[in-house]
Amino acid sequence: MRQVSRSTRIALYLYGAVILSLLYLPLVSVGFASVSKARYLSFPIKRYTSEWMTAAVTSPTVHELVLTSLKIAVSVTILSMVIGFFGALAFARFQWRYRGLFQKIILLPIFFPQTVLGLALLIWFSALGITPSWKTAVVAHLVWIAPITTLIIAIRAYAFDPALEEAARDMGASTLTVLREITLPLLMPGIVSAGLFAFLLSWGNFPLSLFTTGVDATLPKWLYSRMVSGYTPQIPALGVLSVIGSTLLVAVGLVLMRWMRPRD
Amino acid sequence: MAAKPFVQIENVTKRFGRFTALDRINLDISEGEFLTIVGPSGSGKSTLIRLLVGIDDVTEGTISLNGTRIDTMPANKRPTCMVFQSLALFPHMTVGQNIEFPLKLRGVAPADRRTRAIELLALLRLPESYYGKRISQCSGGERQRVALARALAFDPQIIVFDEPLSALDYRLRKTLEKELKDLHARTGKTFVYITHSLEEAMVMSDRIAIMRSGRFEQIATAEEIYSRPISRFVASFMGEVNLFPVTGRADGTPDWPAGAIGARPGALAVAPGWTGVLMVRPELVRFLDAGQAADFTLSGTLTAEYALGSRIQYSVDTAAGLVTVERPFETRLTAPVGTPVTLGWDRAAVHLIAEAADGTA
Repeated sequence: MRQVSRSTRIALYLYGAVILSLLYLPLVSVGFASVSKARYLSFPIKRYTSEWMTAAVTSPTVHELVLTSLKIAVSVTILSMVIGFFGALAFARFQWRYRGLFQKIILLPIFFPQTVLGLALLIWFSALGITPSWKTAVVAHLVWIAPITTLIIAIRAYAFDPALEEAARDMGASTLTVLREITLPLLMPGIVSAGLFAFLLSWGNFPLSLFTTGVDATLPKWLYSRMVSGYTPQIPALGVLSVIGSTLLVAVGLVLMRWMRPRD
Repeated sequence: MAAKPFVQIENVTKRFGRFTALDRINLDISEGEFLTIVGPSGSGKSTLIRLLVGIDDVTEGTISLNGTRIDTMPANKRPTCMVFQSLALFPHMTVGQNIEFPLKLRGVAPADRRTRAIELLALLRLPESYYGKRISQCSGGERQRVALARALAFDPQIIVFDEPLSALDYRLRKTLEKELKDLHARTGKTFVYITHSLEEAMVMSDRIAIMRSGRFEQIATAEEIYSRPISRFVASFMGEVNLFPVTGRADGTPDWPAGAIGARPGALAVAPGWTGVLMVRPELVRFLDAGQAADFTLSGTLTAEYALGSRIQYSVDTAAGLVTVERPFETRLTAPVGTPVTLGWDRAAVHLIAEAADGTA
């Protein structure tokens, strides 16, 4: 690494501090708001309380919201990992006639504004006579998230030497054994990180859920409706708890990926 | 009737779309033979061995092993094993797990697998401690040995090598060439090896098959290929060679279309109308001192010298074109570049290659 002069170092520290505060200051302020006794957010905070945190943890409404959000996020995670795995093989590992077209159209949903996508799906569901519920939200999330997981796993699949599969087959492995013993373990770090992304993107998603959950409410959807009418510090309290939960999940995922990587 | 050959490749053609990679190939391989297929990239040698192990399917023709057709069998059922150019060692498994993989597929008990893996490590002169090592902890030469151990593990009848040494540095490659030859002798297996280096082929093989544009140009022993190539292509495949076009005059004496070469009367009889090239290897061309004689003589000017380590190479500009001469380094000439010299060689050093009038073999 290049040695930097004193002035450059100070400039780098300043730059880092500005970026970090821009990124994290809003989160920190939400944290403060969640422990404020006042009903409305104002700084400096005069009296601290943990009552909103307690309310967020004990409220039956919140339990139901978390349950719905979890059901959607877990379903989306599992399904998008499976779809992403096979999608990535089609994307990166197999030479087939319409591969170029497939590689392009699979990316399209990512570039679609999510509100437009949500509305389009709502119209589509009602045209098919399907009543929106958390299940339709799973489908909506998948339309947007499965291409992302496909891409993440495809990056891993590109770095894959096809000779590994040919060698396994040559030594006597059946197609299924090759998939189980070679392809799957080697793509696993990509699959796990794709799963992490899928969970986080689904858990925090608002625009798609707004249109497609019907009477079921997810956490972001409920937070939004309470922000519009009936704000209490329970909202930032829930936000903070959600961030803590996601951070823990990411930490577990990173440990898992580290554990799976061949040690060298 | 003579016994069927061990491996018999008959009239095999492989086409990829409109492109014909292999064109009616015939090849017999004996049991326990070390056969090397040599050819430039794109000559079809990789295609041929991929057909042999079953990674790709033949378009036409048959491949038999001990009289049984194997070209219709899927790769995982054939008694063949390939050592890939990239070695294809599984990075998520240890050295031991890699070697045991084909045994695990065949349902061998864990204890027996381990015994066999350790036996193979010993055969390839790797310490037993490597059993639990990660592939990423092994050096290039060690990986090579692990790949060989894995290929030997399930006792395949034929082991096929796809240029496994090409990525290694020169010294290591030389060492492993000898080890491979030694391993072949110790295991008695049939080895089919492909490379684009004839030098590598000559060190190891019993027979060499030279491939060009999807067909075999010559299949013979190393000695035969080196001294009696059947075409200009084969002759020039192995480094430097001097080729002089020759045609036969009506009186049976040689004519030199590219420039006159002095030939002692009676040294070379060529049938009237015969067309071809006269080949002489650079190490068999001498510098003649005044008064010395040879069957063939050619004078010119010394234009360059190249030190090749133990040997030294000279370029001589003559009436018949640029001639290459090679001799041991100790016998280096004292004459500087630009000196007129006379070259000479004898009839025994000459090999004639017949060609059609248009220059094709």
